[in-house]
Amino acid sequence: PADLIGDRLKEDVLEQKGRLQRLVAKDVQPPDPASIRVLRGHQLPVTCLVISPDDRFIFSASKDGSLIKCKWEVESGKRLCVVPGGKKGTEEQHMGHASHILCMAISSDGKYLATGDRNKLIMIWDADTCKRLHIFTGHRDAVSGLSFRKGTHQLYSASHDRCVKVWNVAENAYVETLFGHQDVITGLDSLSRECCVTAGGRDGTVRLWKIPEESQLVFYGHQGSIDCIQLINEEHMVSGADDGSVALWGLTKKKPLALARQAHGMQDAQGLQQPYWISAVAALRNSDLLATGSHSASVKLWKCGEGFRKLEPLWDIPVVGFVNSLKFSAAGDFLVAGLGQEHRLGRWWRVKEAKNSICIIPLKRRATAP
Amino acid sequence: LRVQSDMRTRVCKQVTGGKKTAKPTKATLKQQQSKKGPLEMSAKKPVPFLRQVVSVTKKVHRDPRFDDLSGEYKPEIFMKTYSFLDSIKKQEKEMIQKQLKKCRNMEQKEKLQQLLNRMTQQEQAQKKQQKLRERELSLKRQQRELAKQGKKPFFLKKSEKRKLELAEKYAELKRSGKLESFLNKKRKRNAIKDKRRLPSQKNL
Repeated sequence: PADLIGDRLKEDVLEQKGRLQRLVAKDVQPPDPASIRVLRGHQLPVTCLVISPDDRFIFSASKDGSLIKCKWEVESGKRLCVVPGGKKGTEEQHMGHASHILCMAISSDGKYLATGDRNKLIMIWDADTCKRLHIFTGHRDAVSGLSFRKGTHQLYSASHDRCVKVWNVAENAYVETLFGHQDVITGLDSLSRECCVTAGGRDGTVRLWKIPEESQLVFYGHQGSIDCIQLINEEHMVSGADDGSVALWGLTKKKPLALARQAHGMQDAQGLQQPYWISAVAALRNSDLLATGSHSASVKLWKCGEGFRKLEPLWDIPVVGFVNSLKFSAAGDFLVAGLGQEHRLGRWWRVKEAKNSICIIPLKRRATAP
Repeated sequence: LRVQSDMRTRVCKQVTGGKKTAKPTKATLKQQQSKKGPLEMSAKKPVPFLRQVVSVTKKVHRDPRFDDLSGEYKPEIFMKTYSFLDSIKKQEKEMIQKQLKKCRNMEQKEKLQQLLNRMTQQEQAQKKQQKLRERELSLKRQQRELAKQGKKPFFLKKSEKRKLELAEKYAELKRSGKLESFLNKKRKRNAIKDKRRLPSQKNL
């Protein structure tokens, strides 16, 4: 027992420093298509989803403003709470969102759920009962990124008005605003440090915001608009852009450590060969497994090389439609993909064969020798 | 802890060899960090709405009179290189004279006349300066010859120079025939001045 505690403490310290890495990628096996479950319920494309920290519930939101909480263990994927979306113009009366929900976040104790939409509002819900607790106003344009600081009730939000705001959900208070981006912010993520990373769209930068020091670190290296970002551990992150490239970043270098160009191949759009846009990236925390999604009919899994300096493709999972959101479960047992007929930010293309749903993909691990 | 750190720094200095090596290592470390690592900026300054896509170079305003690049002003070289302007000035003067003949409008005629006067006066000023320079040159040449010959070079006083100028002016006037009128005017002017100096009736 003392050993267990010691090991646990060691893990915590390594996690804080960003050096904990479970080498999981080599043990993961491709799932058989029969075991992939599709849960429907949204009318318009799913834009974002979160998994509760105890891996029991999945919350998903879509372009029609509706929010669904479902229990995924049950075979049919029982929908526990449905908060329907309101039509444009019913903002006052309606208990919910009246425009596209662009981002969601859940606190690490599973208590609060935050959602941000195109009407510049951030709504705080009680995760168990799905009752709306509070609305944060203050952003001057659509809210495009939300994330809780792990272990606290501090919420970071990013918006199309190029600023990052810090809120305290427990006290329903606004804390501060951070400036620096020169174009709309498309994604935000944070872990247990008082820092968050944002992806800056067309200004081509990924920024790490050090909130207690009120400073930012600026990383360059992507061409094209950076659309999605996730932290792998406290020191590394992965981002995807609309020129098809996926980049791995480390906090000490201003250029990406590894870059995979045209990760999902080329598409023949209107007679031109263009790379498939990366619409979602996901990373299994403190490990070396990554997933990227686009509308190329597959979700690709990747393995990070030694020291996050290489990016090797593993295998594909076939899905139909735009992969607007990807999340790994905390234990790494399954991967959830939010699918839709359109991209979450606009209607450039429409995949008619796709169904607006969430897809649960179990990840089997090869039994390792003890 | 402070004692420990002091000890450590002292030992480090001893090992590395004194004060001189401690500073450069710190400076190089900082430089390395800023070159390879990401740019660190303040997060509190609001960003302007328009983004700088292409760097626009500021126009550097230079005054060639005070600029080191233009070199020193040497009047002879300047006159030689810009001597082509004299012909252009002549042409322009002819143009203005023609326009003056054609013109009916009184205002414009006045303006043109003023312009013409300006041009002629500028020309005369140029010629005067040219004459001055030539005179200086001739004086210097004289002195150089004297020096070559072995005699001691002498330098004229200002009053002597003025006397020489006056002599030249009289010679010029004599040639043009206006000497008498000039001398009359001068006498009148001098008389008025002297009259002013005399004791007046008021002070009696």
